[in-house]
Amino acid sequence: MLREAIKLSVHGEEIDPKAVASEISKGFFDLGLVYKSTLWILLIIFLIGVVAFTLKALDGGIQPNERYNWGYFSAISAFVLMGAGSAPLVATALRLTKNHWRRPFSRIAELYSLVGILVVFLYIPLLIMLPPIEGRKTIWFTDQFPGVPVWWDFLGILFLVINGIALLVISGIPDLAQAVYQSNGKKSTFLKPMVRWWKGSQHQWNIHRLSLISLGATYFLLLILMQSLINVDFVMSLIPGWKDAIMPAHIALTGIQTGIALVVLTAFLTKTFGNQETKKYFPMESFWSISKIMLALSLLWAYFWFAAFMTLWYGRMPVEQTILKTFMFEAYRWPFLLNVFFSFLLPFLLLIWNPVRKSILGPTFVAVSVLFGAFFMTVRLYVPAFGLKDVVGHELMFVPEAIGPDLLDAAIIFGVLSGVILIYMLAAKIFPMISIWEFKEGLLYQRVRPFMRGNFLVVGRPE
Amino acid sequence: MTKTTILGLYTDANYAAEAGEALERTGLSNKDFDFLTDTPYPEGALGERHSSHRLYIFPFIGALIGLTTALLLTTATQVSYPLITGGKPVLSIPPMAIITYEGTMLGAILFTVIGIIFESRLPSMKKQIYDDRITEGHIGVVVTCDESKVNDVEQALTQAGAIDIKKENV
Amino acid sequence: MQEGRILSAKRINNDLLRGVFENPLRYWLIIGFLAIFVLGAMGAAGYMINRGLGVTGLNRPVYWGFFITNFVFWIGISHAGVMLSAILRLSKAEWRRPATRAAEVLTIFSLLTAVMMPLIHAGRPWRVIYWVFPYDFSRGIWPDVRSALVWDPSAINTYLTSSILFVFVALIPDIAVIRDRTTGIRRKIYGVLSLGWRGSTRQWKFQAIAGILLSALILPVFVSVHSIVSWDFAMAISVKSWHSTIFAPYFVIGAVLSGVSGVVTVMIFMRWIFGWEEYIRKEHIESLAKLLVVIALGWFYFFAMELIFGIYGQEGDELATKHMQMFEPPWVWFFITFIVCSFCIPVPMWLFSGVRRSMFWMVVTTILVNIGMWLERFIIIVPALARKQVFSGTWYTYAPSAVEITIVAGTFAMVLLLFLLFAKLFPLIPIFDIKEGQVLRDEIQVGRRKVPAVIRED
Repeated sequence: MLREAIKLSVHGEEIDPKAVASEISKGFFDLGLVYKSTLWILLIIFLIGVVAFTLKALDGGIQPNERYNWGYFSAISAFVLMGAGSAPLVATALRLTKNHWRRPFSRIAELYSLVGILVVFLYIPLLIMLPPIEGRKTIWFTDQFPGVPVWWDFLGILFLVINGIALLVISGIPDLAQAVYQSNGKKSTFLKPMVRWWKGSQHQWNIHRLSLISLGATYFLLLILMQSLINVDFVMSLIPGWKDAIMPAHIALTGIQTGIALVVLTAFLTKTFGNQETKKYFPMESFWSISKIMLALSLLWAYFWFAAFMTLWYGRMPVEQTILKTFMFEAYRWPFLLNVFFSFLLPFLLLIWNPVRKSILGPTFVAVSVLFGAFFMTVRLYVPAFGLKDVVGHELMFVPEAIGPDLLDAAIIFGVLSGVILIYMLAAKIFPMISIWEFKEGLLYQRVRPFMRGNFLVVGRPE
Repeated sequence: MTKTTILGLYTDANYAAEAGEALERTGLSNKDFDFLTDTPYPEGALGERHSSHRLYIFPFIGALIGLTTALLLTTATQVSYPLITGGKPVLSIPPMAIITYEGTMLGAILFTVIGIIFESRLPSMKKQIYDDRITEGHIGVVVTCDESKVNDVEQALTQAGAIDIKKENV
Repeated sequence: MQEGRILSAKRINNDLLRGVFENPLRYWLIIGFLAIFVLGAMGAAGYMINRGLGVTGLNRPVYWGFFITNFVFWIGISHAGVMLSAILRLSKAEWRRPATRAAEVLTIFSLLTAVMMPLIHAGRPWRVIYWVFPYDFSRGIWPDVRSALVWDPSAINTYLTSSILFVFVALIPDIAVIRDRTTGIRRKIYGVLSLGWRGSTRQWKFQAIAGILLSALILPVFVSVHSIVSWDFAMAISVKSWHSTIFAPYFVIGAVLSGVSGVVTVMIFMRWIFGWEEYIRKEHIESLAKLLVVIALGWFYFFAMELIFGIYGQEGDELATKHMQMFEPPWVWFFITFIVCSFCIPVPMWLFSGVRRSMFWMVVTTILVNIGMWLERFIIIVPALARKQVFSGTWYTYAPSAVEITIVAGTFAMVLLLFLLFAKLFPLIPIFDIKEGQVLRDEIQVGRRKVPAVIRED
């Protein structure tokens, strides 16, 4: 029978706006057995990674001369910065474009800002290992400026993380308040005084909205700036003679692609393993819509890569040829091929098919592929850059030998990845993973209504 | 048995949709009638038949033809009349890839347009029942039925609010 | 977003076909005015072909000047079509409706104009037939596939063909509207062009699919075209400041900026000429202005990266070229004008709602953007060539002659002229698209407020 209903999509389940808070908050403060066990396992792997890091540090030390040992550590740190650093941007950008389908992804994306705390600690040893900029080309142009590059890079990462956490807190406070008032228990009693000031008045919501816009804009600018700076300092400026203007933009783009992949994968896991009541908040239409952006980004990735390759290849200049051989065609050929396959070929070949896009598993599978691709990209860029001992020179004159990972590197990589998941799972118990206020806001403006002989989704545009 | 095509003209899409329901009640299926409008309505709003198609084959065939043509063009011309510049190889993949890419896209787009026109059953060679008022905002309900059903159909269309009815023998 | 009134189909037909069926005096006066410039340009071109390239300012080492700058500029303007039509269609932005056809038509005419520029620049245009078209000739030389100058025609031809087909497919329903309103020979011609369109549900279904599928296919072409044009410069290692990996996306985003600005100018112009205040409303121009802010910021990032990495290498000759482009007269004046006109004035102004909703200020700012973007291409091309050679004894400068200025001015007039002539034959705002927008309009009651809404099909 055709009648008006509040739904997220035509074929979705009907939602009662009054039940949204209780459904999403259900089990929020509880740590089930599976959840606790997972946390413990992750903690153990993370600690193994810390031990491996310590052993490596004791072996050679953390200093510029020992940099070549730490290539894989720099690669995984860059991967985490790329993915977890860009994920909050997904929430901001989709909010700015006012898409109605973004709502399942918002909080999931914002929660990655807490992983930024790990990023800050990962980059401290890396910054110590950067060689002085005297005698080599860098984006700072002069070593006379105090604190370059170490302190400025550090402050940039720190401000980025602070900005991201501020975004999360501002976004999450209304939901934390709702979750606290929906629950009874030691944790909610503990948190009640912290959220008591939130009344949900019109004034508070206006401040809330403006804060999200401002913090989102600053996050975006900081992210692009930091991705550009970090990648030039940690990769390009360590290779004598390498001048590639598109490389920072390419990596920033890969970061956005990785951020979206992380968000999609997390959304899938939340839908699959979350409460039965919350499954309806992840409609297929949201995955379908974001898959179009994933397709566009995979094409853009290939475009940026080709623009760099074509320019360097065509010029036939010796240093550019050496760089192509190092990063793409000889020394690190396999990471490069895997990078291209997972970041572009596989996503493109899958996402051009509508049945793949119009599903939940399709975009999720592509997301996993993109994550692999991004990892191999950081490996093929950071490992050779860190592995080069002589960074002071006019041009790179030879193709360096490829450096493979050892057992300690593997332990560190798994440790860091476990650390990311561990922090995220803990963060998900600080703020609800589904944004209650955003869903309630969305449900104000969404109806499935009869129109002539069919049922259609009607989306309001309050602006 | 001769078939007759009947066109009922309506001033409002809701009346036209009701006409569709009325026609179904006379025993016709939605494969026997269609709607002529001056603007697209959301799919399913008028209760029209679902039309299947194989449009997606066209871009792939076009892309394949475009790719092959461009590849052959770039390869054959350079092999036939080799121009050696600076000792570089005559057949060089990256530049050929650019022209091949353009050829592939051109083929895909050309064949897509052909496919769209073909699947839309255009160009229409025979004169089909139509009314100029459709482009002025009226909705046409076109029914193809046997002679025996003509009266029922006309009655259903009129009761649903048709302002004019035209008939043609097929 | 829905500030307009609900209008009847008949009223929409009458209003949007005003250009086709009515003959306002100001339309013909504008045509006449533009025709003068076009004829002047044709005369100048004929004079140049007769006398040779010596009548231009081109000379060793600056062999690319006004004509090539203009070529790159018009390729840039052509990017408006796909940006607005394809991307906004794919993202289902409701405010695209009055803009799409104007953008697509501007694409076609600016591409045609752009293609003319290298032909004129060749001096003896008929020789291009030997150089570009792949047919056997007793000279035993084929176009060199490895040259960026051969990639250009393949890309531009693909984009031009695709754009024409895109416009035609979307025009079919509107041609049917004109067919139904005309009689005699006009009805026959429009009847043939409409391919027998009746507006059945199947035909509309494929019209919708066409919009999405062609948009998705044309987008990669759109990105490739200006990238390939940028590689005319980036592939060259002998000209300092050209060999940069960022040229491709930098040129593309610059093209989008100038193209979208061009569309805004043209839309406001259309609104004035044809009295389309009901269809090209302040909300549309405001949305375009917000889009322009995003595009301009993206462009600025790429501009900054290009500048920074030009200096990053610390190569003496490249630093000298950059210094010349930014600090030495006369180039410094062009540089300042470019950066002020394309970014420093328009973008801060677009942050204000009052400016975004003012037709006058939007025309002013978008014209400024295009002045700036034209100068940007000039500054990239000419100063670098002026210092191209290693030995300073062969350095020179460049000053355009009256012939070049006349021809370039003529191209602006030609694009506008072709645009207006198109409006005499077909509607510049898609009629069915506007009607569809009306069908999909709805409202949702939220408390005491009625919120405008849109019916979505998926």
